[in-house]
Amino acid sequence: MDELYPEIVIAGCGNMLFGDDGFGPEVVERLKELALPDNVKAVDVGLGGPHFCFTMLDNDVTRKLIIIDIVDFGAEPGTLTRLRAEDLPPGSYRDAHSWDLTEPLNRLKDFVDIMVIGCQPKNVPASDFEIGISKEVEDAIPRTIQVILKEIGVENGNS
Amino acid sequence: MSKVVEVSPTTRHEGHSKLVLKVNDDGIIERGDWISITPVRGVEKLAIGKTMEQVPKIASRVCGICPIAHTLAAIESMEASIGCEIPEDAYLLRLILQCANRLHSHALHEILALPDMYLPGTDTKINPFTPEEPVRSVAKRIQTLRMVGQTVGEIVGGEAVHPSNPRVGGMYTNITPRAKAKINDLAKMALPLAREQMEFMIAIYRNFQKRDWAEVGGKEIPIPKDLGYHNQGYMAVDPVYGSSSLDENPTWFPERWTEVRPWDWYMGEEEITLEDPSYPVGGTTKAGTKAWPQMEACTGVPLYDGQPVEVGPRARLVQYKNYDEKGTIGQHIAREMELMDAVYKMIEAADALNCSGAVVPDVIPQGDGSIGWAANEAPRGCDTHLAKVRNGKVEWFSMLVPTTWNFPTCSRALEGAPWQLGEMIVRGYDPCVSCATHMIVIDEDNRLVAEKLLE
Repeated sequence: MDELYPEIVIAGCGNMLFGDDGFGPEVVERLKELALPDNVKAVDVGLGGPHFCFTMLDNDVTRKLIIIDIVDFGAEPGTLTRLRAEDLPPGSYRDAHSWDLTEPLNRLKDFVDIMVIGCQPKNVPASDFEIGISKEVEDAIPRTIQVILKEIGVENGNS
Repeated sequence: MSKVVEVSPTTRHEGHSKLVLKVNDDGIIERGDWISITPVRGVEKLAIGKTMEQVPKIASRVCGICPIAHTLAAIESMEASIGCEIPEDAYLLRLILQCANRLHSHALHEILALPDMYLPGTDTKINPFTPEEPVRSVAKRIQTLRMVGQTVGEIVGGEAVHPSNPRVGGMYTNITPRAKAKINDLAKMALPLAREQMEFMIAIYRNFQKRDWAEVGGKEIPIPKDLGYHNQGYMAVDPVYGSSSLDENPTWFPERWTEVRPWDWYMGEEEITLEDPSYPVGGTTKAGTKAWPQMEACTGVPLYDGQPVEVGPRARLVQYKNYDEKGTIGQHIAREMELMDAVYKMIEAADALNCSGAVVPDVIPQGDGSIGWAANEAPRGCDTHLAKVRNGKVEWFSMLVPTTWNFPTCSRALEGAPWQLGEMIVRGYDPCVSCATHMIVIDEDNRLVAEKLLE
């Protein structure tokens, strides 16, 4: 019903007040500096991810959702991983209203192609605020952008 | 002989909180303490030394449900401190944002409140996620209303969740005539939906009022006629938008506000002597565990005229529209009554907006360290931010957020209800706990002694 959301949506999740958790919004910030194709939109969804994917994806148009977030999978800080909605264990993500994010993603996955690009964080101060992304995660940002560009079919001829 | 029961954590609201309840032999609450257990983060500490442009961005990231309210309140507290008046069109854009935020947040609360309610004429509780009618269409309507709120928020605010367009002095950019037309179309589409939704929800709540019992954990719990009643006052600064210290007639009065420690307000150490494994979800805390509300609470206790007050939709309707229904259901109904108002105001503001008008003043002062405050009527109530800005840098910043005001008030409202319905009373306030968590310590003369940050 609305042409605000195109075929491919890239959602950067996380909170820049918690150190490396600012990874998702930071990637989106840098993506916005690039000229993305018309069928792609990058959104900094911050702390509203679960609400966003229920109400803001366009039913008729959106075909692909790429989620950018930190994921703790026990690797070296700055390592990237690619996950599908099925790979997320239930309850691994908790959103503000005690719903976990995996449930909405699992409900959506038959309608929209969902991909999660996760980066292993180094420093997420659990309850204290701290602004700033660690060097390892910072170094992963350009690589993440390359992965995303490849995923959405942008060929700059330099990767 | 009183018994103590603890529900931890409470569910279906934002953040982490718990209930410690002293109950009599019939399970009726004699004294209730509703406390925040979200750890203190110290956002006020983080703000010191940052630029006045950056602090509202930080405030916005405290919560993903009402980032618009925090952004606007923080920006306006900076403007109040530096003495900066914003152009009319910037104000109209902010008003549209405010209404968009209220529309999507109130609709979200319906999803959280519905599972406590019954389908009229049956003993079946409502599951908002069921694919069956009539609930399916209701859920779709709620999502459409939220989509309208968030889309309008994105058009005006520049981002779907955390708005990037508002700035100290006004807005970075005005919107195009096409965007204005889009807002009008969306709002006009939402208007009949908001009416249907309000009428449906009020019917559901009225039906609940007629019931004698509610099922909790497999038991029939009697519903008292005065569920959630309290005798505290109300605080609201505006029916829709807000007030700040720049106003000719401000409607919030810092001199009437004091903040005391949870130590002086909540119960001391108690041993839990009543447990109910059948209570959803996963039973209450085991008997023999210790609870210590006055030490565990992570919020200060703000008082207005020396008393806790209620803020939120009902407070606004009581102050400005002579609304007089008390109790939890009264609160829910007040919230529904605000849905259409939010859409009407959005349309009015969009009509009045001049898309080629200036949205930033010619000069933005950099501040001399005077204190300024701004109170924004967020979906959950009055969100007051206070700031001191000198040479563009923030020297002091404090957030007095809606649920902080409601914690002690709701604790009073718990008395007299069966303990199993305690969470239902809490949900009437649509709590948002993450941003409500911060603490200061003051001595007897109300001087700030130390910021207390708990692990």
